[in-house]
Amino acid sequence: MSMISAVMGIIGAMFLFLGVLVFICEIFGIIRYKYVLNRMHAAGMGDTLGLFLCLLGLMLISGINFTTLKFALVILFVWLTSPTSSHLISGLVSLTDEEIEKHAKVDVDDLKSYVDVDIDETTISDNAKEDE
Amino acid sequence: MNVFLNDFFTVLLVILSVVLMLSMFKAVKGPTVADRIVCVNMMGTIVIVIIAILAVKMCEGYLADICIIYAMISFLSVVVLCKVYMGVYLEKCNKKANVEDTLEVGKEGTENVND
Repeated sequence: MSMISAVMGIIGAMFLFLGVLVFICEIFGIIRYKYVLNRMHAAGMGDTLGLFLCLLGLMLISGINFTTLKFALVILFVWLTSPTSSHLISGLVSLTDEEIEKHAKVDVDDLKSYVDVDIDETTISDNAKEDE
Repeated sequence: MNVFLNDFFTVLLVILSVVLMLSMFKAVKGPTVADRIVCVNMMGTIVIVIIAILAVKMCEGYLADICIIYAMISFLSVVVLCKVYMGVYLEKCNKKANVEDTLEVGKEGTENVND
């Protein structure tokens, strides 16, 4: 039995190391990218993959346990909520950024689902109005 | 094996702390609000991994519960910050539109008086 747990420990340590490498790539991307939406993309992808690999490694090291079950619950929760966070942040950027037309195409109808207040023409930037 | 794992965990904790500090610098420096929200979200995720490593290293089971709560609070904070800032921005735009309207009305009034 101790042999199996030792092998699981080594495999888990490898996954944990890969997870930390993903986090290093993620912070590198967040510092170096030039536009907000690129950084948001790096953060969203890096968070979910890095968390998955790190917690998977820790689950293998820890063995069959309640702690392992709780880590599985953390992975499930973060995988369900992280895309929603990215979606909201991109909605915020598309609403508040004045120069977004240089980097991306904006559809006015998508913005109306985010806010309870009615968005009228005066709140959208002038560049977007020219395209309509 | 346990000694190797202990040293390995220590090295990883140091690396993750450095990543956490870099993310904090970006959160302070970031030119837009969305930058800061992204960095705060990332800091929350890194803290989850740090607490999970500590939970396995010290063989304390209750630290894993903190990970679940931290994930929930981090998600809630991103949602609240986004909604609040969207509301603030729309209010600022509406106020600016109202002020411009009243300025235009004022100018029309003076033109009529001069004629």
